[in-house]
Amino acid sequence: MRGFEELNPAVLMTYYLCVIGTAMFCMDPVVIGISLAGACALFITLDGKRGARTHLSFFLLFLVMSLINPIWYHNGVTVLFVVNDSPITLEALAYGVCASAMIVSVLYRLRTFTMIISADKLLYVFGRLSPQLSLVLSMALRFVPLIRAQTTKVRSSQKALGIYRGDNIADTLKGEARIFSITATWALENGIITSDSMEARGYGEHRRTSFSVFRFTRGDALFLALCLVPSAVFIAAAATGEMSFTFYPAMSGISLTPLSAAGYASYGFLSLLPCILEWKEDIRWRYLISRI
Amino acid sequence: MEILDIKDLSFTYNEANSPTLKDISLSVNEGQFVVLCGATGSGKSTLLRLLKPQLSPYGKSTGTISFREKPIGECASAADIGFVTQRPEQQIVTDKVWHELAFGLENMGVKQQDTARRTAEMASYFGIEDKFDKSTAELSGGQKQLINLAAVMVTEPKLLILDEPTAQLDPITASEFINTVKKLNRDLSLTVIIAEHRLEEVIPICDNLVIIDKGRIIASGDPREVISRIYGNSGIMLGMPAAARISAYLGERDCALSVREGRELVRRFGNTETLPDNAVSTDNKKTVLEFRDVYFRYERALPDVLKGLSFTVTEGEIFCILGGNGSGKTTALGTAAGILKPYAGNILVFGKKLKEYKNQSLYRECLALMPQDIQTVFLRNTVREEMEDAGADISSLPYDLTPLLDMHPYDLSGGEQQLAALAKVLALKPRLLLLDEPTKGLDAASKDRIRKLMRELAHSGITIVAVTHDVEFAAECADRCALFFRGEIVSTAPPEEFFSANSFYTTAASRITRGHFERAVTAEKAAALCRLNGRRAGM
Repeated sequence: MRGFEELNPAVLMTYYLCVIGTAMFCMDPVVIGISLAGACALFITLDGKRGARTHLSFFLLFLVMSLINPIWYHNGVTVLFVVNDSPITLEALAYGVCASAMIVSVLYRLRTFTMIISADKLLYVFGRLSPQLSLVLSMALRFVPLIRAQTTKVRSSQKALGIYRGDNIADTLKGEARIFSITATWALENGIITSDSMEARGYGEHRRTSFSVFRFTRGDALFLALCLVPSAVFIAAAATGEMSFTFYPAMSGISLTPLSAAGYASYGFLSLLPCILEWKEDIRWRYLISRI
Repeated sequence: MEILDIKDLSFTYNEANSPTLKDISLSVNEGQFVVLCGATGSGKSTLLRLLKPQLSPYGKSTGTISFREKPIGECASAADIGFVTQRPEQQIVTDKVWHELAFGLENMGVKQQDTARRTAEMASYFGIEDKFDKSTAELSGGQKQLINLAAVMVTEPKLLILDEPTAQLDPITASEFINTVKKLNRDLSLTVIIAEHRLEEVIPICDNLVIIDKGRIIASGDPREVISRIYGNSGIMLGMPAAARISAYLGERDCALSVREGRELVRRFGNTETLPDNAVSTDNKKTVLEFRDVYFRYERALPDVLKGLSFTVTEGEIFCILGGNGSGKTTALGTAAGILKPYAGNILVFGKKLKEYKNQSLYRECLALMPQDIQTVFLRNTVREEMEDAGADISSLPYDLTPLLDMHPYDLSGGEQQLAALAKVLALKPRLLLLDEPTKGLDAASKDRIRKLMRELAHSGITIVAVTHDVEFAAECADRCALFFRGEIVSTAPPEEFFSANSFYTTAASRITRGHFERAVTAEKAAALCRLNGRRAGM
């Protein structure tokens, strides 16, 4: 079994869809708590001790967003104190805390998402939809930095020729406009050579296939099952309404029925799944090393 | 077995009045290594493109081309004929190396598993396994060209066509590329047709040398015979290997091709007489450019590119800086031109520190830099507009630009681009000219023209500092040569001394004459010494 990052990109995308998609529509403090803990744990597992700044900025964001809700909304029956004739209520504060915890947990997830899903993995997933689309995306990814590099080169060449001197703005602007226009010409010129090269290698001769270096293994299938089954249980539990939590006017208690307990447990499992995989690999590796 | 047969082929471009190719007949057997040689504009590229149906130019053609006994138009697949051109960067289509290798197979509709096997096989044959997951933008020019070749080879072509594949590469990567092609030819009996300017390495290994001049084949066959037939054609002989040129100067009936054969040839001559020493002394001349312990790095975390670089260039000389890839040569020129700022040390131009040149005064009648990528000099749609922008007076140039005035700078050949760019640079009336790889991608005739031009400019008092990979060029045009290694200059000497002291980083002529003649670093000098000493008795 491979680590979380090395799973098939399509499986990874499914996981993120499940874990973010389900939690976003469930305003239940327990679910949000589990989600935040899981997201944060994965980030720490992948990033190690370097993420101090991320944690700090997310924490500040969390504080600010938590406080905004009680300042603007005054619903709720439990008044904590009154500021400028506006009551600050416990319910509004609790709602603020839950909402911002949810947002921060999604931010943590997205942070790990960008760490794991590189451009070519995204490309692979969208390439499944159409080989043409995947080729266009791959070419675009190559072309943008190429044009940027060429612009820099032209600019420094012109500087050393001292032709468009930086003495006045009009001259500088004129120079920049010319550099832009010649880079466009250059890109078109390049495009012709590239399209020749594509045709020379048989582009358009047959129906294209789309090759990728990513494989779908039994480990991927297992992970996919471990991701889809708990999601289904969780959705079922949420759909019955047994996990609904209301904040206004007064907070309802957390109802613990067999079904909601199953829902919490499966979300907890889903949320921690990548960490479990990583930890398992880590322990196995240490065990292997100790045997050597 | 005959793989390609061209009969009476003529070709005229749609807008042209006269044919580009006339009565071309050529037959190529399977497994042959064919070298096509001729000046820029002789029709080489047109011929090569006609051999690849997907790239055939538009125009009127007569005659026949058969590929494996069928007309080439009916040859069904692009996979059968591989084609690599001279621009490494532009031929790459995708952003990842593995995708680039798979591209041709994807086009053929090959299944995932077969593609995985064939790309893996190709990557290990070319020794690029470690680059497999890399982004194509990270590769050097030589690696890019190797990827282009590998990407063509995955579809298992029967015929490989290469149109000046090493023109944009430095000599070391160029020779690696040629060796890979040679290996493919030998291992797989792959038929290769290659058009090249750098003939030193391909001619000794080729089976069939074809010389094209003005759209006609003027000679073809065994390289030794072909070269001895064109001894009189000085334009084409310029690009031939040093051994062949020495043979031509001496009028040898059996033409030598490799360095080894060249050595056998010169040993038949005596070695008692020497040429007069005509090295110019650099004493008592004004210093134009001086580097004093210059240190430079691109980013704080990166290592030094220039490490205590110190050298001086005196007025009116041509100073050539040689050195391997990534040794910091181009960076040194960048710092001299004030584009890059060193973090320690001083650079003095005409005795004044660079910092003291305010408001771009450095670039006014003082210093100019010709960049390596010559296209970046041009900004306008015609050469005429370029010249007007720069305020260039084309009548004062030592060459004639008028036929090129209405063309787009990008449509010019490499040599013409150099001339047009130089005109733009000279309009600034520089007294110090910095040239970065002035011979990159040029054929022998254009190189010769640039060399003569540099001499004329130096004569008129312009000091020239040129960075180059081209040892033959440096040997012919420099007053002094310097070897750049790991961010500093490790030796400086006049070319005769410089190249006779080096054993690998030296010219073919020097390797031929080593131990026999002293200080003969160019083919002309070697031949002159042979003539001076005369043939030994009984040889």
